[in-house]
Amino acid sequence: MNDLRRPFPLGPRGRLLVAFAFAGALSYWFLGLSLSGLLPARGAGDQLGAFFGAALHPAVDYEASWVPEGAPPFLSNVGRAMLETLLLAAAAMSFAILLSIPLALWTSTSFWQRQSRGAAGIARKSKLGRALLPFVRLVIACMRSVHELLWAVVLLAAFGDHHFLAVLAIAIPFAGTLAKVYSEMLDEAPTDSSEALAEAGLAPGFCFALGRLPRALPDMTAYTFYRFECAVRSSAVMGFFGFPTIGYYLKLSYENLYYREVWTWLYALIVLVLVFEAWSARLRRRWVAR
Amino acid sequence: MSRVEEIRRLRREAPRSRFLRWSGVALGALVVASWSDTERWPFALFRGQRVHNLERFLERELVPYPLRNGDRGPADLFGWARDLFAAKGGEATLSTLAISALAILLAAACAWTLGPLAARNLSTARPAEDLQGKPESRAWRAVRGATFALFVALRALPEYILAYLLVALLGPGHAWPAVLALGVHNAGILGRLSAESVENLEPAPLQALRTSGARRSDLIVAAVWPLSINRWLTYFFYRFETCVRESTALGMLGIASLGYWISDAQANHYYDEVFFFVGLSGLIVVVADFASARARRSLREGDKLR
Repeated sequence: MNDLRRPFPLGPRGRLLVAFAFAGALSYWFLGLSLSGLLPARGAGDQLGAFFGAALHPAVDYEASWVPEGAPPFLSNVGRAMLETLLLAAAAMSFAILLSIPLALWTSTSFWQRQSRGAAGIARKSKLGRALLPFVRLVIACMRSVHELLWAVVLLAAFGDHHFLAVLAIAIPFAGTLAKVYSEMLDEAPTDSSEALAEAGLAPGFCFALGRLPRALPDMTAYTFYRFECAVRSSAVMGFFGFPTIGYYLKLSYENLYYREVWTWLYALIVLVLVFEAWSARLRRRWVAR
Repeated sequence: MSRVEEIRRLRREAPRSRFLRWSGVALGALVVASWSDTERWPFALFRGQRVHNLERFLERELVPYPLRNGDRGPADLFGWARDLFAAKGGEATLSTLAISALAILLAAACAWTLGPLAARNLSTARPAEDLQGKPESRAWRAVRGATFALFVALRALPEYILAYLLVALLGPGHAWPAVLALGVHNAGILGRLSAESVENLEPAPLQALRTSGARRSDLIVAAVWPLSINRWLTYFFYRFETCVRESTALGMLGIASLGYWISDAQANHYYDEVFFFVGLSGLIVVVADFASARARRSLREGDKLR
């Protein structure tokens, strides 16, 4: 029956595949790509060999022939940069969480709900809250949709160099994302406990804080850890804008063609990311499936 | 037992984990250490010369060029925006979208073919069967471990750093570094997610096929792909949206996306143009976000692809 009705000899999955192939071909054509672009650039063939050859021999000491008197050992620099990367991520995340909490509460429906006896979930928002809601949503969308590096460009142009700007550049988009996800999680949390509390006669604020919030908290914590992981990566990349994280030293070594140092920095970043990923995965497992 | 004692008993018997507690301590210490560095405190931003710089930035540099001298109006502003869009913004917008589309398609092709190899229920000597405590084959465990490690390695480095390395190795002036960087990183992410969703498939359909004589490849083509495609597509659209966001920034490495014009305008100190292109990038991310949310919602609501 199905086959007789089909105007097109492909099922929905087949059509999807065709659409994907078409989109891919269109993009390929628009970008003017060619497969020869995948070969190393002219004159970079030797460089390519040198670069990947260095992967097995990461530097444990400066590669430069002359190092100023009193410079700290190379590996202590690596440790410092790893710590600095973590610290920037921690500062940015703590600031982002702080920013996101009011935004998340404001945009979640459940925060404004008054749970009356019997009829749970009748939304009665305060007038001001409702009037400003689209505006707050817009602010969150703006925070979220501009990339942290673009925030860094704008902030550095506005204020000049300052360490807080790296924190802010990461914290703004991360706060937007956290606010959106937190508010969705609050709205999707099971309502049974808050309904029970409303039944017992508790004020709506308490129903939310003691009934709704604890049910969403495990998911919120798990997601926060996932974002922390992302913040570590972003913090490393911030180094490209002159902040003393791993990216800064990576760029420096790469520009000087010290490939063995480059690989040390890459391995340092990979170790940092993997340790953090393993830690956060274990924490999330404990938290969500307890 | 009185109620107070009851509560005390419950508190005493609540599950506790040393791992969780020490993790909390470590995180707290990190946050305290990060803010104990006074160089990170924001207060200096609003003192001395910086205030003048900020004022100049907001009152002059950020103001769109035609509005600066006060003798022209919003009509000129529209013309300015239109000219910028026609000369640079339009093509860069399309490039940004094309880079993300190609990258996510490459990532999905890689993840959807290799993903099942990292799934615990398929990547065994007897796929989809209950092992009942029998030792599993070493070869298949190695295959699974290798695929898993590959996904971890692919996603370990951030896209921006991958693209930075690739620009030097593949040469500037084309979009391959951005496409490959985004593709590689997202292949690692989509790969892990698709392997997890294969592990969470209901075993019954797979077992039914097994008992009627299907091989592993039959299982993948006839059951795993059709059963997982909805879930995989929601991941696909979710990552597409982050790809668009990321590829706007990758342009700052000299690749023809919106970021290219942002760094170009920044180098010339045309901060009104920086603002315009940053706004444009925000806009296309919002649009991609909206489209992806729509697509994911329609995938969740009906199983249209079965």
